[in-house]
Amino acid sequence: MQITDLDFSIIGPAFVAGLLVLSTHVPLGRQVLVRGIIFIDLAIAQVAGVGVVLAANLGWDEHGAAAQLAAFVAALLGALLLWGVEKLWPDIQEALIGVLFVVAACIGILLLAHNPEGGEHLRDLLVGQILWADYQTLLIPGLLYGAIIIAWFVLPARNHPLVFYPLFAVMVTVSVQLVGVYLVFASLILPAIAARRRDGHDGLWLGYLLGAIGYGLGLLLSLVFDLPAGALIVCSLLVCVLPWMIAHRVPQSAKPGADPGFTTRLNHPLR
Amino acid sequence: MKQIHAIIAVLLLTAAVIPAQAADLKVFACEPEWAALTKLLAGDHADINTATTAHQDPHHIQARPSLIARMRGADLAVCTGAGLEIGWLPMLQRQSGNPAVQNGKPGLFDAAMQVERLEVPEVSDRAMGDIHPEGNPHVQMDPRRIATIATVLTARLKQIDPAHAADYDARGADFGNRWQTAITRWDEMAKPLLGVRVVVHHKSWAYLFDWLGIEEAGQLEPKPGVPPSAGHLAELKAELTARPAKMVIYAAYQDNRAVDWLSKEAGIPAVELPFTVGGTAGANDLFGLYDDTLKRMLGALHADH
Repeated sequence: MQITDLDFSIIGPAFVAGLLVLSTHVPLGRQVLVRGIIFIDLAIAQVAGVGVVLAANLGWDEHGAAAQLAAFVAALLGALLLWGVEKLWPDIQEALIGVLFVVAACIGILLLAHNPEGGEHLRDLLVGQILWADYQTLLIPGLLYGAIIIAWFVLPARNHPLVFYPLFAVMVTVSVQLVGVYLVFASLILPAIAARRRDGHDGLWLGYLLGAIGYGLGLLLSLVFDLPAGALIVCSLLVCVLPWMIAHRVPQSAKPGADPGFTTRLNHPLR
Repeated sequence: MKQIHAIIAVLLLTAAVIPAQAADLKVFACEPEWAALTKLLAGDHADINTATTAHQDPHHIQARPSLIARMRGADLAVCTGAGLEIGWLPMLQRQSGNPAVQNGKPGLFDAAMQVERLEVPEVSDRAMGDIHPEGNPHVQMDPRRIATIATVLTARLKQIDPAHAADYDARGADFGNRWQTAITRWDEMAKPLLGVRVVVHHKSWAYLFDWLGIEEAGQLEPKPGVPPSAGHLAELKAELTARPAKMVIYAAYQDNRAVDWLSKEAGIPAVELPFTVGGTAGANDLFGLYDDTLKRMLGALHADH
């Protein structure tokens, strides 16, 4: 295939989808990194999935608005649960987020035992594929993202858990269906890692810029080499962020309390 | 160095020659068996691209740009239908924006919908969620149904590309004759399999069993994507102790761990079958698909005696 033969219109909607996802994921991803709750998106996505399976088991149409409603309600309940976790067990918050992820996934499997068609839809919910996006399907996610951004930048108490968790839950429920869990995770965490030493607008714009370059590069490579777009974008996002990761590494001498190092800790007889 | 120049020259020449011989009909085949059938029926008139390989679960595929590009340029999409590609074909049709391959248009050929299907539920019941309302879509494992599908596909090729109608007729008739001869041969070959009890990994084999009169002794994974329960496996083991089966079969794209487990537990051979063209080395075309399937099953049967 020649470069001139490439049909760039194929990746147009996917790139717009990527920019929409970045618009919310970069600012909220920075908050996720600050709070140290890296796997919260996976947990929320699984809980939303359980909502859809439950709805299907109740006989609701699993492709329609009812399933979406069930996903949002479940995700919001999951968000409330995580708020409770933060209040009650702040010391083991990340561990409990992991527990929520694995338990929600398993409850999904158990509920599916009597409804495998819900399983098909659960899979759709978790592994949205960015190339299947078209401009029409982007309309509703775009509006929801718009509302989330406005809420995020206008509400004075945006860092309050009761604002952050519900916004996050709605956002993740929309984006996993659009681009899948891998891209959601990468869009949240990788730009935030690159921009973590920069405050406010500075960091935000760096995150947006790197994210957009990552998506654009990944989609172009996907077109040229004909490889699955989502996986390639995750890799290209990492490549874009890597220079900042290397530049911002903590120098050996600056480490607090002379950390003996991970290997030493692993090999410690009492661990 | 000279060699490299020669190779480049040849490549350039080939590249220059290919567009001149461009096929009239661009075909998008969802699965390898339909690519193989279209190739037999359309020959050089069709330029065929296949969306999935024999080592992929056709229910789910990863979105690649070329899939959209090929669907965009397709004159004819040959797919299984009956819900098999529900997870990706509708998105691909919509994304392509190609009016020729939309539902109900002659450019979309649903192979399974051209024949009588098994396991069509009498009433649509949510509790029986794993059953497609259109019935079992895996029709490619019955050569009698393939013969019917070939006839309808030939008519469809003539409709879309009328300039070569006479050629499609001739090819269709030639394939029909060769296929009938082959079915007679396979029927003879498969006689020892009549009434034999076989365990399946998942019920993808209803049409093969319907053709050969094989008895399904049980399923390892009754519901797709849902791991079997301990109770189900215990039941299956008890059933096989009371009424032994001769073998357990699975498709080349499926994971063999569950099958190996049962093979050891019940002391019966596990047989990997191609399931579609390209699934095994022997299944190199549509004829080879059945030759190799029968050879492997008969081999397991004889090893048992």
